[in-house]
Amino acid sequence: MDIELIPAIKFTIDELTDLYNQTRVDYLVPMPMSANILGEYVHDFDVDLDHSYVARAAEDGQVLGLGMLGLRKGRSWVTRLGVLPSIRRGGTGGAIMDAMLGDSDRMGLPLSILEVIKNNTPAHTLFRKCGFVETGEYLVLRRAPRPLKETPPGEANWLDSTGALVLMDSYPEHLTWINEPASMYNATSLQGLTISLPSGGYGWMVYRYHKFRLSHFVLHTQRGDPHEVGRALLAHLHFKFPRQDAYAENVPEHDPHCPAFADLGYFEVFRRVEMIRKRPDPRS
Amino acid sequence: MAKILYIEDISDNATLARKVLTARGHEFLWAETAESGLEMALAEHPDLILLDLGLPDVDGQTLSVWLRSEPELEHVPLVALTAWPEEVARKMVEAYNLDGYIGKPFNMHHLLKLISDLLAR
Repeated sequence: MDIELIPAIKFTIDELTDLYNQTRVDYLVPMPMSANILGEYVHDFDVDLDHSYVARAAEDGQVLGLGMLGLRKGRSWVTRLGVLPSIRRGGTGGAIMDAMLGDSDRMGLPLSILEVIKNNTPAHTLFRKCGFVETGEYLVLRRAPRPLKETPPGEANWLDSTGALVLMDSYPEHLTWINEPASMYNATSLQGLTISLPSGGYGWMVYRYHKFRLSHFVLHTQRGDPHEVGRALLAHLHFKFPRQDAYAENVPEHDPHCPAFADLGYFEVFRRVEMIRKRPDPRS
Repeated sequence: MAKILYIEDISDNATLARKVLTARGHEFLWAETAESGLEMALAEHPDLILLDLGLPDVDGQTLSVWLRSEPELEHVPLVALTAWPEEVARKMVEAYNLDGYIGKPFNMHHLLKLISDLLAR
């Protein structure tokens, strides 16, 4: 089948949402989006619709799939790639990837990044063919609301978005695209807290607050045992917000705070693998 | 016979469930989003809610928290319909205090049996 690739900017958010949901109808991890949520996603994660693409059948104009490209200084981020189930394995996903990576290379961006759901073998294989290599594995965790029985230890100091962003800027480790400072700057409802423990431990966390859900967690232990500090941070968070659902995305699998998540009742839902691709040398 | 609300964004699934449940004499209500599902649940007071965990506006887990936080819906049985792997689905049911789950694509015999058991409680 001959396909044409149209910049996503030529479509409305409603049209892109509809197409995206059609491509995910049988997906390994079910995650449809509303137009509002996709709009927020585009905004928060700097998705550039001029360099994102919709694949269309040249013959009859039927939309077949899409892929989105986020752009930040020196890097691009491939996301929301999907092809209609009925025409998979026909080269549409590869064509969309080629278009986006071609744009990324022409803009001179040295690095492209993506995350693929672990065990999504067709997508993983495609990304390897496109030159991506694995750099890390990340957990996606959930916790249903339930009240804590004991008052958490230590002294908590709650921060608004300004204070939370100051902390984000000091974070010393690698973060994936959705949790890195640029995403947090774009986000609404950012909050944070610091904790000082009697043992001398000190740390902080940043999160996004919604009426029924807490998400996009970044935890950092500045002093002391990360397990102890992380447990205190999460305990204070859930003590303050006993009715909120919690969704911690892209926690590194070897993050020293992982045992603290388990202590507070978080469970693993799935994993993502981060992959990167360096821009090919234009001279070669 | 019972009033059953199905919160599901895929119309083919809702059509199938409507056909089977109305044939058994149940009253069938359908909402496509979490927000409209909550509104409908509050307005209609269903006897049982079938809940797709993959909804477009707010996912089904968070919606279950909304539903459980409403005093008049606190005791309405909630059944998850989900394509999550069995192990994850079981964890979701336990953690979110749901009354059961049916894997997608769903087996109508299992769904009807679960509904019948829950309504008889």
